[in-house]
Amino acid sequence: MERNLIRKSKVWSPEKIEEIQEKAQIGRYRIRGQATKRMDLPSFDDLVFTPAGLSRVPLEGYRERCDTKVVIGEGKVKRPLVLETPIMIAGMSFGAINAHSKKALGIAATRCGISTCTGDGGMHPIEREYSEKLVYQLLPSRYGLNPYDLKKADAVEIVVSQGAKPGTGGTLLGHKVSEEVAKMRDLPAGVDQRSPCRHPDWMGPDDLGVKVEQIREATDYEVPIFIKIGAGRVYDDVKLAAKVGVEAVVIDGMEGGTAASPEIQLDHTGIPTISAVVEAAQALYDIGMKHEVKLIIGGGISNGADAAKAIALGADVVYMGSAMLIALNCQRPIYIEDYHALGTEPGACHHCHTGKCPVGIATQDPELMARLDPTAAAERVENYINSITMEMQIFARSCGKSRVSDLDPTDLRSLTLVTSYITGVPLVGLGGKKPYFASLDHGSSFKDLLKV
Amino acid sequence: MESVKESIVIDCKSETVTSINQMIRDFAKNNIKEVIIENPLARHNLGVCITDPIHLIYNGDVGYYAVSLCDKVTATINGNCGWAVGENLMSGEIVVNGNAASSCAASLRGGIVVVKGEAGARAGISMKGGTLIIGGNTGYMTGFMMQKGKMIICGDAGKALGDSMYDGVIYVGGKIAELGNGTKVEEVSEEEKDEIKSLLDFYQIEPPPSFQKIVPNGLLHHFNKKEFRVWKEIL
Repeated sequence: MERNLIRKSKVWSPEKIEEIQEKAQIGRYRIRGQATKRMDLPSFDDLVFTPAGLSRVPLEGYRERCDTKVVIGEGKVKRPLVLETPIMIAGMSFGAINAHSKKALGIAATRCGISTCTGDGGMHPIEREYSEKLVYQLLPSRYGLNPYDLKKADAVEIVVSQGAKPGTGGTLLGHKVSEEVAKMRDLPAGVDQRSPCRHPDWMGPDDLGVKVEQIREATDYEVPIFIKIGAGRVYDDVKLAAKVGVEAVVIDGMEGGTAASPEIQLDHTGIPTISAVVEAAQALYDIGMKHEVKLIIGGGISNGADAAKAIALGADVVYMGSAMLIALNCQRPIYIEDYHALGTEPGACHHCHTGKCPVGIATQDPELMARLDPTAAAERVENYINSITMEMQIFARSCGKSRVSDLDPTDLRSLTLVTSYITGVPLVGLGGKKPYFASLDHGSSFKDLLKV
Repeated sequence: MESVKESIVIDCKSETVTSINQMIRDFAKNNIKEVIIENPLARHNLGVCITDPIHLIYNGDVGYYAVSLCDKVTATINGNCGWAVGENLMSGEIVVNGNAASSCAASLRGGIVVVKGEAGARAGISMKGGTLIIGGNTGYMTGFMMQKGKMIICGDAGKALGDSMYDGVIYVGGKIAELGNGTKVEEVSEEEKDEIKSLLDFYQIEPPPSFQKIVPNGLLHHFNKKEFRVWKEIL
C-alpha cells in the first residue's frame, strides 16, 4: 500500500478549511473584532535607527532634556490641543467598549497630558468627566451628535473612514446594543447595527470644506478640527483633506483595530501603516503644508520604536487604540475558562464583537464589566503611555535629537528591500551601490588586488 | 443693524457669516424674540449652533447648513435652501417657503422641518426623531437609515426610499419609484390619516388624496438570520 504522509496544504490550509466551513454554516461573511491577522505585512520592525557616533553627538540620557510636547492648532484656533507626548488614544466607541474602560482611559490620558477620543456613538458623560482633553468624533452615523457635546469638545475629528475597514461603515452586533447604547444612538435595543459609510450631508471635498466651516461656526473657532481617513488612496486623500483647511489629518493604517468588522475586509483592504505614513507625509510636503497641518498616524502602533519610526517618517503624533486596550487587560490570561468558552485563548482573542469579553472591556454585560477595575486599569495604561514616551526619547537622544519631533528619515535605515522601496529609506549596507572590490574577480591580476 | 421692538434686522451684505451667527446667539441669549435676516445671498452656515429660543426669518435663498445643529429655534425661510437645511435640529420648527436641496433635515433629532416645495436626494437621511414634511417630491435615498421619527411626503419619492431604516415611519402621497431594502408597506390607520391631515392643514399644504405608509420590515435587524437577498444589498 502506498504510504501517504500527512501534509498540510498552503492552498487548503486548516484556516481556510475552517473559514469555508463556517461560511457554509452561517450564510454570510464572518464578522470579528481586533485587527488583520496577516503575517506578511511590511512593518516598522523592518527599519532600524542609526544612532549618533562620531558623525553626530548623542544626548546625555540623564541630564539633557528631550522634549516630547506637540501642539495641534497653535496660532490657528483659540484653544489648541496641547499633548505632553506625541500619543493620542484613538477613538473607540461607547458601545464597542464600556464606561469602565472609558473611565480608565480618561484617567490615564489626563495623568499623561494626552487626549482620548469618543469614537462612534456619542460622548459618554463618564469620558467627558475623566478626560481632560477629549476629541469628539463626527461620523457618518451621527450617533449621539448634539450641539452641546460639540461645544464641550477639545477637538473635533470628522471621520471619513477607519483603517480596519476603509470604505464601509461601523458594525455593532445586537449583543452589545444595550438599553444605554441604544438610547445614545437612537436605535432599537438589541439590533445588529450597521452604520453608513458616507456622511449624510456632504459627499466630496468641496462640500466637506463647507462642513468644516459649519463646525468652526458651531465651536466658535475655538478647537482644532481633524479629518480621519482609513489608509487607502493616501496620497490624494491627504492632499484633499489638507486643502479643506483642517489642523490635522489622521491616517489609519490597515493594522488598525475594530470591535466588529467583516474578517475578509480586515485582511484585504487598506494599506499598511508604514506605507501610509510616507505617502501622507509626501503629500503634505508636495503641497507645501508639511509644517502647517499635523499628521497623526494610527494602526498597529505598539511600542516606542513604532511610534518613533512613524514620527521619523513624517508623523507628528501617533494614535493608539488596540494597544491601550491590551494595557487595560485585553488578552490577559485571567478568566481563562471564558476564553475557552468563546473557542479562543488569551493572546489570540478577537471576540470583541460578541459582547462576551472575558476581561470586561469590550462588553456591556454588567457582570463582565465588574471584572475591570477602572482605577487599577488606569494605572496600567498610564504606565504603558509613560513607557512609550521614554522609549521614544531613547531613540531621539541616541540620534542626537533634543526633541522627539526632530527625528527624521535620515535617522533610519531599512533591513528589507521591500520596506526600503516603500519608504524610500536606504537599505542597511551599500543599498545597491558598487563596493570598492566590485571591479575585481578571479581573473584580476595580483597588481590590481594590491591596489585595493 | 437696526432694532425694531422685539425684532432685529441683520443685513447680511455688510456682515461675515461668523458675525451673523454670533449676533444671533447674542440676541437669543438676551431674549430677543425675532431676527430678520435680509440678503442672505445663498451664503452657507447662516444660523449654526443656536441653542437659545429665537425666531429667525430669512428673506431670500440660503446656502448649505441653514439652521443646523440648533435647539429650541424656530425659523421661516422665504426662499430656497442649499444642502442640509435643519441638519441635526434638536427641537423647534423650520418652515421653508421654497425648495430644499439634498439632505434636508439630515440626522433630524426633534422638532419639525417643513419644506413647502420640492426636496432633493437624501431628505431625512439618518433621522433620529422629529417630523419632516415635504409638500412636493423628493429624491433618491430619502429616509436612508432612518432611525426614528416621521416623514410625510406629499408628492413622489425617488428610488431607495427608506433604505435600511431601523425605525420610524414614512408616508408618501405620490408614486414611489422604488422601495429601499428592509422596508414594507402598511395600511394607514384612520388615526394616522387624521394626524397627517391636521399637520398639513396647519402648514397650509394641499394634501394628496391618499398616503402609503412605509416602515422597516425588520429583516436587517439581525445578521444571524439567513436573509441573503437582503444581505446582498446591504451587508
